[in-house]
Amino acid sequence: MEEEEIEKAVLAYLKKKGFKHTELALQEEQNNNPSASQTDPDVARRILSFAQSENGPARYHDGYSKLRSWTYTSLDLYKHELLRVLYPVFVHCFMDLVAKGHTQEARTFFNSFREDHELMHLRDLQKLEGILSPSHLEEMEFAHSLRQSKVNIKICKYSYELLLQYLHKTQSITMLGIINEHINFQVAPGQPSSISDDAEVVTLIGSSQDAANQINQKEIRWGLLEDSLEERLEKASGLLSDSEKAEGENKDGDLEENKKRSVEGGKQGNSIKKLKKEKIVGTTGKNARSETNSITMAPRVKPELTLPVMPIEVEHSILEDLRNRVQLSSLALPSVSFYTFINTHNGLNCASISHDGSLVAGGFSDSSLKVWDMSKMGRRVDTSNVQGENESVPSEHSAGSEDGKRSYTLFQGHAGPVYSATFSPLGDFILSSSSDSTIRLWSTKLNANLVCYKGHNYPVWDVQFSPVGHYFASSSHDRTARIWSMDRIQPLRIMAGHLSDVDCVQWHANCNYIATGSSDKTVRLWDVQSGECVRIFIGHRGMILSLAMSPDGRYMASGDEDGTIMMWDLSSGRCVTPLMGHTSCVWTLAFSCEGSLLASGSADCTVKLWDVTTSTKAPRIEDNKSGSANRLRSLKTLHTKSTPVYTLRFSRRNLLFSAGVLSKGI
Amino acid sequence: MSIVPKETIEVIAQSIGINNLSSDVALALAPDVEYRVREIMQEAIKCMRHSKRTVLTTDDVDSALNLRNVEPIYGFASGDPLRFKRAVGHKDLFYIDDKDVEFKDVIEAPLPKAPLDTAVVAHWLAIEGVQPAIPENAPVEALVAPPESKKTEHSKEDGIPVDIKLPVKHVLSRELQLYFDKITELIVSQSDSVIFKEALVSLATDSGLHPLVPYFTFFIADEVTRSLNDLPLLFALMRVVRSLLQNPHIHIEPYLHQLMPPIFTCLVAKKLGRRFVDNHWELRDFTANLVASICKKFGHTYHNLQTRVTKTLVNAFLEPSKAMTQHYGGIQGLAALGPSVVRLMILPNVEPYLQLLEPEMQLEKQKNEMKRHEAWRVYGALLHAAGQCLYDRLKLFPGLLSPPARSVWRTNARVINTMPSKRKLSNDPSSQQPLHKKQIVEGSLGPISLPADLQGSSADSFPAASGESGPSSSSGQVLNEVVSGNNNRRERGDGRAPKASAVLSQAWKEDVDAGHLLASLFELFGEAIFSFAPSVATSFFL
Repeated sequence: MEEEEIEKAVLAYLKKKGFKHTELALQEEQNNNPSASQTDPDVARRILSFAQSENGPARYHDGYSKLRSWTYTSLDLYKHELLRVLYPVFVHCFMDLVAKGHTQEARTFFNSFREDHELMHLRDLQKLEGILSPSHLEEMEFAHSLRQSKVNIKICKYSYELLLQYLHKTQSITMLGIINEHINFQVAPGQPSSISDDAEVVTLIGSSQDAANQINQKEIRWGLLEDSLEERLEKASGLLSDSEKAEGENKDGDLEENKKRSVEGGKQGNSIKKLKKEKIVGTTGKNARSETNSITMAPRVKPELTLPVMPIEVEHSILEDLRNRVQLSSLALPSVSFYTFINTHNGLNCASISHDGSLVAGGFSDSSLKVWDMSKMGRRVDTSNVQGENESVPSEHSAGSEDGKRSYTLFQGHAGPVYSATFSPLGDFILSSSSDSTIRLWSTKLNANLVCYKGHNYPVWDVQFSPVGHYFASSSHDRTARIWSMDRIQPLRIMAGHLSDVDCVQWHANCNYIATGSSDKTVRLWDVQSGECVRIFIGHRGMILSLAMSPDGRYMASGDEDGTIMMWDLSSGRCVTPLMGHTSCVWTLAFSCEGSLLASGSADCTVKLWDVTTSTKAPRIEDNKSGSANRLRSLKTLHTKSTPVYTLRFSRRNLLFSAGVLSKGI
Repeated sequence: MSIVPKETIEVIAQSIGINNLSSDVALALAPDVEYRVREIMQEAIKCMRHSKRTVLTTDDVDSALNLRNVEPIYGFASGDPLRFKRAVGHKDLFYIDDKDVEFKDVIEAPLPKAPLDTAVVAHWLAIEGVQPAIPENAPVEALVAPPESKKTEHSKEDGIPVDIKLPVKHVLSRELQLYFDKITELIVSQSDSVIFKEALVSLATDSGLHPLVPYFTFFIADEVTRSLNDLPLLFALMRVVRSLLQNPHIHIEPYLHQLMPPIFTCLVAKKLGRRFVDNHWELRDFTANLVASICKKFGHTYHNLQTRVTKTLVNAFLEPSKAMTQHYGGIQGLAALGPSVVRLMILPNVEPYLQLLEPEMQLEKQKNEMKRHEAWRVYGALLHAAGQCLYDRLKLFPGLLSPPARSVWRTNARVINTMPSKRKLSNDPSSQQPLHKKQIVEGSLGPISLPADLQGSSADSFPAASGESGPSSSSGQVLNEVVSGNNNRRERGDGRAPKASAVLSQAWKEDVDAGHLLASLFELFGEAIFSFAPSVATSFFL
């Protein structure tokens, strides 16, 4: 009797799969020797249950809901580990249903359990929701890669046994199949891991986590370049001569200098002039030394690229800037100068500020690039320094419009919205990237387009000059990042590996690495020389919009579209801590020059200043991962008047420049 | 099952001319349509992010279509995000409100203004971490105060010495609250007490009152609208306003726009106070001066303040349908703004206005004594205003009148002596005066019989005028002037017409313009106007 049933089930299976010859063969064989085989009862049961499971998509629904309720009622200690299993099972159940053509059932299944995972995986769910036919599975990169790869889940031994026991006991073949096929358990002996540790498990990425871990094992030399200007300054500061003091005195007119002096003066509590002045100069000199000390603690590495030679007078001006740098800390917050774009008619896509803050560039959706010379604006009203311009700008602007002259330089050449612009370190070149898939190099001295770099196949989202100039990196919708040099129209390196658009790119301080942020929610670090991916940073839950590298080269900050900022330790590839506070997209991030502060600008119309010294120094001393000790703090929130902050830039003297568009709608 | 039902596919198919679409095809297409739409939206969101926006626009969708090598959809381009409206009766059905535009209207519409060019302005968002209170920065009040001071305590627990400067929370201290309650109580209940006077002084001088300004502003506006019948209260409120304006420590500009309406109410309202006996004229006079002082104080910061005030007042003055009381308020307000305003705004309208006013003032035509009284009041105000203006003009040419004026200063007795000489002086040119002019002057005097009431009112207004000409003068001087003025009046009582024409021609000789002004004013007001002319003499030595 049982035999017959098995036979039926087998035949039904063969029919269904269209194995006609097998079916015939089987029948023939049965006819030849009717009472031959004696089947193992266990196997028979399997076959029967398999037949049952085959016959309905409802199996998935039932199986998953049973597994879910079992997980929720499991022991508290192991619950969070078992809960992690649910999400991949859920996703694969859904995709299996779609793949088998049960669109209707797939949708109902999806909707009934969707809420469980919305908190953690909203964006993934939104993507998956659109999948409605088997062909979509093939077409959609995300779904495709999910089906190809296995998810790694760390689980303690006991949880693992619990799960297996449950699956065998309840005969839920479907669930077992999915778990076997798509989940790779890393069974660890001992106690279950802590809940806070599962940040990595949150994100399902296409490539297997093994690969990511393997990549993160690679060696990375995050140190600073040998023979940098800071280093030279430190050497020179030992020889701080009288001439320099005199120089300091000569600069009485410099407001910034004066202000800084008043700060120093205030600290020391002295207010008498002539004699003390020299002392003050002395203290600033000391400050400069102490701050460079922190940077010189970083190891030195040799440059992998041949670096451009800097003109001697430029070098001197930079050294001068470094000497006059205001030291920032949680106690000494920076001054922030804000450039507001008005009357943009929703057309401004990006803004960029030169290193000295004197030039501001805006990329517009009408393909134009406009550059404002803020220092010139000030000069017309007879104030030559950067400080003085702020009071005079409004009047200058009205005067400019009366003249019928534009207050800016217009660069036209792109054939699509300009998505990014970057100034060379000396401010003599601008690079702009556009949706017409080109990058253009402009000269601010000649006010003309010099080169058009073609190489990307899709819109170029971001372009960044290297810290030393000459080289630049770009990132594009075509999922690659490329390294270029100004003198070649072909890219030098192509970095491929991201699973979605590469949205932003940033150079490491030593120019040997670039970091890229992508819509696949990962940040990757690439070796410029070899073009290899050397780190994958997993943890963001949305697309990465901004990146910043700490000046000592040890840390990286990344901001995403949810308003989360993450600090990463480059050497370990781990997230130091997430910085929560922004409520909307983090458009821009900037480290202060000595690395003690991080500034972030967001679509929620605020500039936030974060104290990063606590975090960066604590692990260096103790090197432990205890969460509370190195928690980063938000120091200050600066609200703008309904102006989302598009870009931030610390000048070499640690004055913070920021820019944004006045938008009345918010 | 997809969000796009197969019916939608069928409808779309029909709309492009495919009538016999099989339901299988529609069923198969529906999920694919949804997938494509989602795909496009995903790309569009990327474009939106890279344009640094948080609102999706049609441009983003177009760029997304471009990315997928699909022809963009034309006809929806707009700089602003589309405004969707909810369809009535549906929970999640939206549409774009697309109004029919008349072609004619588009053609005939004036050319739109050219959009302003993009510009960059700079300001300090923060100076050493502290946000300066400048208009470019978000106002401090608008910020949400952090919940209590827990944050600061928390940071102290960390053992890191940080001074976190919290945004100023708009909280009134207990003392300020008590102060406010006390003042408002005084205003409402005992506005004639000595304490109230002290309170006014305190309001005008105390430095810590700024946080209360919005509350006072609201209180004043509220009370004025509520108790238009309560004259003492209104008066008290206006005094409070004056005190607040005087206070040098208060930054009252932001609240000016809230203060002006109640002030105007007290100036040009139709009915103030309950009974006839309430002297609402006094309140109007007081308020007029208040308005003038506001214009003077804030006119340079708000350059359109005075024009707006003047416009309102001229409206009150020239609208024939408005009550006499409102006219009075308008005239007084304009007069307080200064002689030049009077010359520009009132004098051109005096003649037609007087024609309107005349029947109201005559016993035969206006039986209601109340109305007649009001009309005379307005007449008095008008006279005063015009006189002020004249006085101002004549003040420019004091040369002629200086010798007699000095003598007035020296001794009171000499006034009588100098006056005849003055008359003598003016008698000579009077011969040159065309004769018919004199006749007209005298003729115009005829119909307007001057009752004692007018004499009284003009007499009232005269000391006020001289007081204004020299607010710093001691009371003795004012008395002196009054005496001299009265002397003059007495003089004139004798002199009458010959003297009138004499002074008139004197001014004529001095300056054609001023003379003309005086002449025309004389035509309109008769001799009452002369009470202002001699005060030139008194003003000179002040």
